[in-house]
Amino acid sequence: MEKASKEVLQLTASKLMFDMTDEEYDRLVKEFEVLIKQMNIIGEIKGVDDAEPMTFPFDVTNSCLREDVCSTSIKKEEALKNAKDVKEGQIRLPRVLK
Amino acid sequence: MEFEAVIGLEIHIELKTKSKMFSSAPVTYGLEPNTQIELYDLGFPGVMPSVNKQAVISAIRVCHALNMKIDDTLMFDRKNYFYSDLSKGYQITQQFRPIGREGHLTIKTFEGEKDIGIERLHLEEDACKQLHYSDYTLIDYNRSGIPLIEIVSKPEIRSGEEAAKYVEKIRSIVTFLDVSNGKMEEGSLRCDTNVSVREKGSSDFGIKVEIKNVNGLTNIQRAIDYEIRRQTEILQKGEIVKEETRRYDENKKITVLMRAKNDPVDYKYFTDANIAPIKLSKEFIQEAISTSPELAEVKKIRYLSMGLNEYDSDLLISDVDLSKYFDEAVRSGANPKLLANWINVNVRASLKRLNISINEFPITPIHLAELIKIIEKGKISNVQARDLFMKMLEKKISPNKILEESDSTQISDMSTIQKLILETISENEKSVIDYKNGNERVVGFIVGQVLKKSAGKANPALTSKLVLEELKRR
Repeated sequence: MEKASKEVLQLTASKLMFDMTDEEYDRLVKEFEVLIKQMNIIGEIKGVDDAEPMTFPFDVTNSCLREDVCSTSIKKEEALKNAKDVKEGQIRLPRVLK
Repeated sequence: MEFEAVIGLEIHIELKTKSKMFSSAPVTYGLEPNTQIELYDLGFPGVMPSVNKQAVISAIRVCHALNMKIDDTLMFDRKNYFYSDLSKGYQITQQFRPIGREGHLTIKTFEGEKDIGIERLHLEEDACKQLHYSDYTLIDYNRSGIPLIEIVSKPEIRSGEEAAKYVEKIRSIVTFLDVSNGKMEEGSLRCDTNVSVREKGSSDFGIKVEIKNVNGLTNIQRAIDYEIRRQTEILQKGEIVKEETRRYDENKKITVLMRAKNDPVDYKYFTDANIAPIKLSKEFIQEAISTSPELAEVKKIRYLSMGLNEYDSDLLISDVDLSKYFDEAVRSGANPKLLANWINVNVRASLKRLNISINEFPITPIHLAELIKIIEKGKISNVQARDLFMKMLEKKISPNKILEESDSTQISDMSTIQKLILETISENEKSVIDYKNGNERVVGFIVGQVLKKSAGKANPALTSKLVLEELKRR
């Protein structure tokens, strides 16, 4: 398995459009070393490649769909409470389009 | 060397539900920004998505109309990207298990009928609306979470005309099924186009150029035809087409570069573990299909069986609301053939003149049906019917009421009318000879003249009867 080096993590972070401090990268590199070690142990078990990937712990389905009934919206003031900058009832950001 | 175009379309359609795809926030258009939202739509952590039943029913109906295989297990995936239109940092969509697969629809072009394959149809949620200004961007979450279906065609479309016909057919399907209002100008139906050009007969694909958000059928056709010409010229010069995203400039009628596609975005799709797989029973799917509103094609067959001709039927089904208006007037007892004629001639002309849609038309289907019944009974002439129609437009009341009102000013006194008839005949003595020679049209002429003399006040039915008697007497 590929080593999660600082360079690999930096590239991944850049693709996800964020960055971290050197200390944070170093800590994450160490955490990944442990993780990859554990993965390698699992990898030694025979026949792992044939197992279907799982998303849910149990193979169950349900038939629950929500009826199309609308609720009352939360208040505008409440919705915008955490916004740093508001203009005309909308959240104002630095220009997104270049 | 001869070239051919390979075109694939991705159409996003906003569904007409009361609440959002994964939250119960209301779906209402044109309201104040950030007033149609739930915490879920703002991406607050810990708020769980719940799947809207009506959106699923709508998707099943469209899948069925597009002859698709319907997946009986609903699963949703996360499309991860970081952008200001997306509160959660991911959009919930159906990447791995779309609800519909392997469909097709038939379009009619100038060259005849053609089958276009459809790759997939999936359910997802809309992103929020951004308004870009010169130095800032405003965010409105009202659109965030509105249910969407995305329909992806196979790359089997070959021209701008075929693409426009394909979109027109999809729009007809979603509007007749009443799952969307299908309005391109309002963004309820949005179309992304992939165009590439290759050597004719080749099985390889050329380099793909994406044209984003083209608005309106005419523009879709023009944008694609322009792009085919542009790429063909590049290839003819022996150069290579660049992989890029372009947009259509309506004024200049050309496509212009938006951005190059150097590094394709990796959305890191994975199944959304917050929505456990949902099993759709056979009965549920069947019920969604069997209770589905009538498609345009089915309506047309019904109209033809009522005795309407091909032309009138096609005009009626060109607009779902017009066909609904027709259906309602038929239910109110109007003769379908006469009614279709009136809608397609007089109603459509009035809509055009007033620049309104049929939903805003002042004459209700019930009142138009009343008018048709009056005409059918022969109570009034064609000229009078058109006059009555204009009065209905103006007064917005029933034709019978208008007739009743005019009856009070109407001359029904036989001797007065008789006097006018005698006067008219003495001025047109040749008419009597013509009548004796078998010209029946003279009756209508004399009646018309008498009505004119009375300033339209003489009772038409009575006048008609008296004119006939007088002519026979001579």
